[in-house]
Amino acid sequence: MVLADFVEQLLNGLTVGMVYVLLAAGLSVIFGVMNVINFSHGELFALGAYFALSITNPLGAETGFWVALVAAPLIVGVIGVGIERLTIRPLYGRNPLYHILLTFGLVLVINDLVRLVWGTEQQQLVVPNFLTQPVAVFGIQLSLYNYFMIGFAAILAAGTWVLLNKTKYGMIIRAGSQDREMVRNVGIDIDRYYTLVFGVGAALAAVAGIVLGGYQNVNTTMGNSVIIPAFVVVVLGGLGSFRGAVFGGLLVGVVQTLMRAYNGTVLADLGEFTLTVPNMEGLTVFLLMIGVLLVKPQGLFGTRGEESEGGEGEILVGGDGGLLNESTKFKLGVVAVALLAIAPFALLVTGQRYYVTVLNEILIWAIFALSLDIVMGYTGLVPLGHTMFYGVGAYAAALVMLHYTSSVFLVLGAAILICAALAWIVGALSIRVSGVYFAMITLAFAELLYSAVFKFEFTGGSDGLLGFEAMMGIAGIGVPLSDIELLVLGYEIEQRIVFYYFALLLGVLSFLVARRIMNAPFGSVLQSIRESQERAKFIGYDVTKYKRRAFVLSGGVAGLSGGLLAVSPTTFIISPDQTLYWIHSGEVIVLTLLGGMGTLYGPMLGAGAFLGLEEVLSGYTDQWRMVIGSIFILFVLFVPRGLVSVPSLVAERVDRVQNEGDPPVNIDDPEVNPDD
Amino acid sequence: MMTEHTDDSADSSVQSDTSRRKFLAAAGATSAFALAGCGDGSSGGTDTVTVASLNPISGNYSSLGPSQVQGARLAVDQINGNDNYDFEFELVEGDTETESGAAQAEAQRVVQQEGAEFVFGAISSSVALALNDFASSSEFVYFPGGAAVPVTGSSCNEWVFRFETNTAQIAEAISAYTVNNLGSNVWFHYADYAYGESVYNRVKSRMQDADSDFNEVGVTTSELGSSNYGSYISQISNSDADTVVLGMTGGDEVNFTNQAADQGLIDEMAVVGPTATFQSIRAGTGANSVGKYGGVRYVPSLETGDNQQFVESYMDAEGSTPDNFARVGYDSIRLMAKGMNEAGSTNPGDVRDALEGGTFQTVLGDITLREGDHQATNPTWMAEIVEGDGDLPAVELLEKVESEDTLPPASELGCDL
Amino acid sequence: MTDAVLRTDGLTKRFGELTAVDSVSLTVEEGEFRSVIGPNGAGKTTTFNLITGALTPSDGIVQFKGQDITTLPPHERVARGLGRSFQITNVFSGLTVRENVRVAAQSVNRDDINTWTALFQDKDDFESINAQTDEILEQIGLAARADEPAETLAYGDQRRLEIGLVLATDPDLVMLDEPTAGMSSEETQATMDLISDVLADQSLMLIEHDIDLVMRVSDEITVLTRGQELASGTPEEIANSEDVRDAYLGGARK
Repeated sequence: MVLADFVEQLLNGLTVGMVYVLLAAGLSVIFGVMNVINFSHGELFALGAYFALSITNPLGAETGFWVALVAAPLIVGVIGVGIERLTIRPLYGRNPLYHILLTFGLVLVINDLVRLVWGTEQQQLVVPNFLTQPVAVFGIQLSLYNYFMIGFAAILAAGTWVLLNKTKYGMIIRAGSQDREMVRNVGIDIDRYYTLVFGVGAALAAVAGIVLGGYQNVNTTMGNSVIIPAFVVVVLGGLGSFRGAVFGGLLVGVVQTLMRAYNGTVLADLGEFTLTVPNMEGLTVFLLMIGVLLVKPQGLFGTRGEESEGGEGEILVGGDGGLLNESTKFKLGVVAVALLAIAPFALLVTGQRYYVTVLNEILIWAIFALSLDIVMGYTGLVPLGHTMFYGVGAYAAALVMLHYTSSVFLVLGAAILICAALAWIVGALSIRVSGVYFAMITLAFAELLYSAVFKFEFTGGSDGLLGFEAMMGIAGIGVPLSDIELLVLGYEIEQRIVFYYFALLLGVLSFLVARRIMNAPFGSVLQSIRESQERAKFIGYDVTKYKRRAFVLSGGVAGLSGGLLAVSPTTFIISPDQTLYWIHSGEVIVLTLLGGMGTLYGPMLGAGAFLGLEEVLSGYTDQWRMVIGSIFILFVLFVPRGLVSVPSLVAERVDRVQNEGDPPVNIDDPEVNPDD
Repeated sequence: MMTEHTDDSADSSVQSDTSRRKFLAAAGATSAFALAGCGDGSSGGTDTVTVASLNPISGNYSSLGPSQVQGARLAVDQINGNDNYDFEFELVEGDTETESGAAQAEAQRVVQQEGAEFVFGAISSSVALALNDFASSSEFVYFPGGAAVPVTGSSCNEWVFRFETNTAQIAEAISAYTVNNLGSNVWFHYADYAYGESVYNRVKSRMQDADSDFNEVGVTTSELGSSNYGSYISQISNSDADTVVLGMTGGDEVNFTNQAADQGLIDEMAVVGPTATFQSIRAGTGANSVGKYGGVRYVPSLETGDNQQFVESYMDAEGSTPDNFARVGYDSIRLMAKGMNEAGSTNPGDVRDALEGGTFQTVLGDITLREGDHQATNPTWMAEIVEGDGDLPAVELLEKVESEDTLPPASELGCDL
Repeated sequence: MTDAVLRTDGLTKRFGELTAVDSVSLTVEEGEFRSVIGPNGAGKTTTFNLITGALTPSDGIVQFKGQDITTLPPHERVARGLGRSFQITNVFSGLTVRENVRVAAQSVNRDDINTWTALFQDKDDFESINAQTDEILEQIGLAARADEPAETLAYGDQRRLEIGLVLATDPDLVMLDEPTAGMSSEETQATMDLISDVLADQSLMLIEHDIDLVMRVSDEITVLTRGQELASGTPEEIANSEDVRDAYLGGARK
């Protein structure tokens, strides 16, 4: 009986595992061959399920399901081909960072299209009746659909294996995933195969979406919820390894399910001690991923070594191309701060008080983006889990207010210190792995913390933390923010406005301090590391140590932004999704790039532009996500150096038009071209 | 279109004013909407009051949110078309995305930008708890949609009034019936958040009171928004339990029920869900629901209060029968209006004082917003889900708990207003 | 013995089955210009990487100025006076010429910088570093172009800057990895002139396959083949060695 139960749970695990296999196979090969971190893979998965809905609804479950299983993946495959041709192709050879921005934009566009076409409500994908019957064999009772999922996915996986291993196309693709240069050198145009790979990957994801949709349901967040486990699978198995994807997918599915089924089970009773399985559901896979990456960065079945120097494509630092000199920049900065300083009054006079809340959010995110720029723009490290510091900062601040003191200074100090310490630990473990592995390991840490806050009592579980309040002061001397009310010229200066000036002050200070540091000896080393890590090492710098210090600095600043979120008078709750959800890690990368990284002020500008635009657009259209997503895509294609480079791009264009009378065909800077 | 006004007696609906306190004009009571005097129709003006409805249009509870809004819209239409009210409601809507952070941002928008001083909504109890806090600090009247006890229990405050039936009330209907009639070896499975915990705590404690044979076989929890329940179902199915109680709702309960039916669990034991009778859950599960037991907060067939008039108007407006969330939306908005008439003011402070302890007519009959915790004294039912005429399974009521018997004293639930 | 700047003993590097460097023992005396030559795959670059610290040896030791540095990371070898240049020009292309040299000079003047000034003092405020930077810019002839971004320099000038970076770290021994790869004969000559000019005080170790060049500039030459040391000696001795001629020179010179 115990054995039968175990086998039943194992089969449950394999059912989910097979879905991961289908998802990860495409994702892994796309990454391995094309070096593209494709966040939109989850949305292609969802699209599969939605097309299947549209097919089964008129045709009925009995025939419609089978038609959908063939037709929907084909449609999604074609969409994948279109996406590759139109958006991803121009970016080959660029740093994977730009693929994050691009595919993040695609996520927003596709997700919004799904909302528009199919609505936001959760829907049921009906499957043929006979598939939903319970089947009991040897005391193992499961739905026939479980067996169908396992079997069908296994057949497809086997088919993909044959395609990859027994055909000429497959050989070339596999060779490409090991060494693209070599394939190019023997005269094969590997780029042509990319389209095919992307299309097939999209179709496999669509199949996974349909199969899982039939088991669970179809909703607009299904893509978001599978993409992270899919990345875990890919990284565990080894980037670009199909075998790894299969093994990793099944492993993750089974481990997840068994941890769920057997948590709290007593393993052994040793007199005084009882050995039980800890309640680690949700945490286990991320711990597994971190462990594997630390021991074997290339994954269990990965064959590709560490990226060769320069093989990742250059990171494009923002800048104005020397158009503005230092004193002009200084004046512009003063004007910007002055405008921000009078903004609340303008809002009060025009009766738009609400926008003070929006400005507060922008200031918080500006500091968050600044913190990312310190690592990303100045050392070239791309953390995909940066929101862990924002979130931990917010949680730390809320907890300090709930249990110790409500003095904002002490609260923010605690948030900064705790996040800097966290960054030191994460950095010590992860900075030695390079490039995309660093991105993935930070993502794993962030997800680990995200899962952890759901588990712990003291973090309030999924309800989050409530009932804290900040006080402007220290050691019991001061006033609660909520008591601060002043009348200036007949206008009520509420707590939000007091907070606004406080946040503005901290924002300007953070920027000035960060700029000071970047212009000091320490910062100059960071910049040399960004330009050439190898060279920096051989003029005598301990590159790892400098990166780790930059990461600690960045973590501390991000902790400040999270702390500010918690002490803001308009924040009543700190919830997991609001602070630690992976989307925020993507968002902060996006707005740093959008503004122009490596400039410190660019990302802050990006935060203002991004959140401001979001606020304005959402007032006009329900499809604002689509508009913002499209803007990301256009930016990454045409303005890769960010908003701060717009003046120089315009000047360049005007220049060329005047000189040649011809508009330039290629707006990209020459450096944008791939160097591999 | 509307053949009949469902709300023909806005004034007479106030049955009792024994507990009404006169509003003391304290500092800060300077609302632009304050009406002169406080008598019947002494003001002929048509003030516009901004009322906000914050509902999960996307996220986990996206299948429940839209009918909340539809109920609220219907109420606003009726109030604006009814001469008994001297004011007009303007409804602004927001999407909570079933998530506290997003809800907080939307709440700030509707309160600060749109100027709403009366807010209704949220289905997730976590979200409702977040809005509770906001209501208290920004001083607006809030009618939450979440059912967890703490919303009007340990986290209650003077600005929060709940017409939604809470978990304690439902536990009253299902707990004793379940242990006495369905089986006393009980497994609890709940979603790990405010509502799920609330179900577990209340139902377990009521079951212990009802039958000394009650035996908790096991407890499992899943994350809110989980979609794969296969391993839990296997675990429950392989245990000695004869009954399983589900502390979950919305998409979670739909997924669980469908997967449980496919794995044969519903044939095997009694599956009891406090929200199993929700129309959206029955619709999402179809025949898979048949054989489940559940608590009833509301079904359209009730003959209580002015329910049949509500059902008719709702049918006219939406082309379908209202569900629990529609009636919560509908009466939460009507209660705000009735409170304003009662107070003779649209100032949130005045309205709050008029609502506290007041008894009003609703679709569930005459209910009181208790003085101690502002919880509506709604009746509840135990029911079984049986085959219906069409695809949608029907609800067969088994036992009713009268409105005055559903709630323990407010202090026992952790609130002392 | 005490005069030896660099000494390797039984230096070996295995990659799985392949032994790329097989028990190489060589000594570079103070002030010496040593070249290491050999055909492709002879293990030149691996030897180079083992000495600079880019790779860790499987066996054997590396001594620098009498101290064992076998397991030290590259940056600590640089700090002890072991500099290197790169085969493919590797400068900080987005930074100015001056900043390139300055950041290299900063690395060996760390005594002037404490934790506070490292973080908060303007990088251009350090007198000794600035003085050294100016001196090197003069030496490599790029003083006039100091404020231009390095990426705008012509190839030859980038090579000069590359050597300037090495020089700025104040090395006792400079390891040069094919510094004239891909250059025209005039550029090659100019680069070698620069090397003999600005690196006159340093011991040099050159990895090269241009045999004519090596014969012209070296004091001592080591010939590697299949990972092993075939011969060592002065250019004359090497030119006259039967073994070398058979194994390498004959083929290479055609």
